Amino acid sequence: MRHTTRLMEVIQRSLSGPIMDEEVFNNRHITGGIARVVKEYDIRIDKERIINQDDDLADRVFQAAIDFLASCGVYCQSTNRVILYSQEEIKSILRTAPAQVRLGAGTDEVLEVARKVEDPRRPLLMGSPIGSPIEEEFFIPSMISYIQEPEVDATMAPTLGTIYGFEVRTRSPLEIMAAWREAELTLEALRRAGRPGMPITGLGMSFSDVGQLSADNPGGLRSTDLHTFGVISELKTNFEILNKLTHILYRDGIVDPYANPIYGGLGGGMEGQAVLIAAAMIALNVVFMATCVGSSPTHPFYFNDTHKELILPTSLAFQALARNTSLMTNLTISPVGGPLTKTLLYECTAYTIMCTVSGCSRILGPRSATGAIAGHFSGLEARFTGEVMSAACHLDRGKAEEIAQRAYEKYAPDLIKQPYGKHFREVYDLKTIQPVDAWLKMYEEVKNEVASWGLTFES
Amino acid sequence: MQPEYEPLCQAIIQGRVEEGVALAIKMVEGGKLPVEIFSQCIEPTLTDVGDKFSRLEIFLPEMINAAEVVKAIQEAIRPFMVGSSEQVIKGRIVIATVFGDLHDIGKNIVKAMLEVNGYQVQDLGVDVHTQQIVKAAKEMDAQIIALSALMMSSLPFVRDVIDYVKSSPETARRFKVLVGGGCMSREWAKSAGADGYGENAFEAVTVTNRLMGMDQ
Repeated sequence: MRHTTRLMEVIQRSLSGPIMDEEVFNNRHITGGIARVVKEYDIRIDKERIINQDDDLADRVFQAAIDFLASCGVYCQSTNRVILYSQEEIKSILRTAPAQVRLGAGTDEVLEVARKVEDPRRPLLMGSPIGSPIEEEFFIPSMISYIQEPEVDATMAPTLGTIYGFEVRTRSPLEIMAAWREAELTLEALRRAGRPGMPITGLGMSFSDVGQLSADNPGGLRSTDLHTFGVISELKTNFEILNKLTHILYRDGIVDPYANPIYGGLGGGMEGQAVLIAAAMIALNVVFMATCVGSSPTHPFYFNDTHKELILPTSLAFQALARNTSLMTNLTISPVGGPLTKTLLYECTAYTIMCTVSGCSRILGPRSATGAIAGHFSGLEARFTGEVMSAACHLDRGKAEEIAQRAYEKYAPDLIKQPYGKHFREVYDLKTIQPVDAWLKMYEEVKNEVASWGLTFES
Repeated sequence: MQPEYEPLCQAIIQGRVEEGVALAIKMVEGGKLPVEIFSQCIEPTLTDVGDKFSRLEIFLPEMINAAEVVKAIQEAIRPFMVGSSEQVIKGRIVIATVFGDLHDIGKNIVKAMLEVNGYQVQDLGVDVHTQQIVKAAKEMDAQIIALSALMMSSLPFVRDVIDYVKSSPETARRFKVLVGGGCMSREWAKSAGADGYGENAFEAVTVTNRLMGMDQ
């Protein structure tokens, strides 16, 4: 649906909102605004936990996020103006947010639904390295390693380091070629894995509007796919991002933006981070007209999201949204560990359990080795994540906390060592596209261990 | 730290600009040398602020506020200083996110860390053209150009800046190039000819100190 009236309203507000310096927006609107609502709504977190257990606190975070967003707005860098919506407008738009959406086509079609806290319905799994870099020759086999997993419902491409052997540079013709190449290869991987209608997203290599939108056209990304774009942290946009939104709406695409608040950044500590995450997700729906809203809150030094300081406020923010809206929310797992490390699997355990019991609609990843090391990812960790996710649908938050804490104790001391693991070619047989014995054995060991903690796997 | 510096130390840590400036001026008027105030109070205080941020005991806004207090003090006591502010500044740096890349929080963290470690930093913002970066470095008479890039497709623009600097003996002699960002590896930085690479904000400071010939 195009929603021309709403889109025009967003554009007009970006042209007519209060004008201000970006630094003033950062310092007064974001930092000052977060500090104010954390105090006013008495947001205090029990920092020993991993998963929020307090419904009243979650509801206060939601109220604080609405109050903050209404006073802060979203900054448009192209016009130096703030796009503002009142609390009443925000609540009114949230009331009309879609609660379900069909993704993909044919026998590969899946239904994404808005979930509640401790919802027994299974979230979707977008099994993917989520834009991690990859060499051209491993693009298709590595993607097949995800697509072939029965637990995987949707996927997203890794990022090509080169195309036809040449480095890609943004805002150049190479970026347009990269977008088309990525779309071609992704669709080819779907076909080879026998799941041609599986919903995909991507074109992450092409960051500019022209680059990304070039392959968001017939022959490239399909209207049944997710059309993903990032907004600028914290709570900022520009005309390039609004151009992407406009094009996607005119293509009747599923709008799937994300915002990744940085822990310790403008929002400050855990309390501020929880409010900022919730506010950013609401802004994605209100300002960026999202069908689905997503995040991967980021650690400022390790670039992961599996530190306790990130899991806990994320859990709180997503519970706030699940309890008070019908938003379809998604989270990306960004572990530090890579393939053939137990660290990766323990990180996936804690984060996936948190996402599942906190009302997340779709889990993305894992973006192994923080998505920074070329080729350090494989489909087996997506299989593991999917199995943990399905099992965690039957947990309450108390039991989820207990298992997540045990996993956390296992991996927390290793994060500083950055155990990035092995390259895809070392953990998969490239002819059969199956995990090598050592990786499979490690996966089974950890799965048995997690099962012994009380997580009941279906198989 | 001597007890007489404690109020100034607290004013910096708590981001109280007016109080910090007033205390510093009072000390200078009372006969303290600006260099003494910096070496005995401001430098150790800022080191402490940086250390606390590295342990995430404080956060970016607090670190920026501390740096703002010190910048205001530098400005306020300039008339009392013999020579120039060189005596209290470790070095001059221009920092930017390269052309085609709009990510700024990582850069802002590095900027704040450099400032609390005693560097004068000119922030050119995001999406900055190669020529504009080098021009600003010349105008500031910087010793270091610090570049940030988050996306793989913006890495070529990092290399462009390095190539531009190295293409002239004059700029190659004047500027060291420090690089970092989410998508960038140590190996890539080396292959591109960067003088230094920071995997994170702490390493950026350590490498900057090394490039400036200072022990850390």
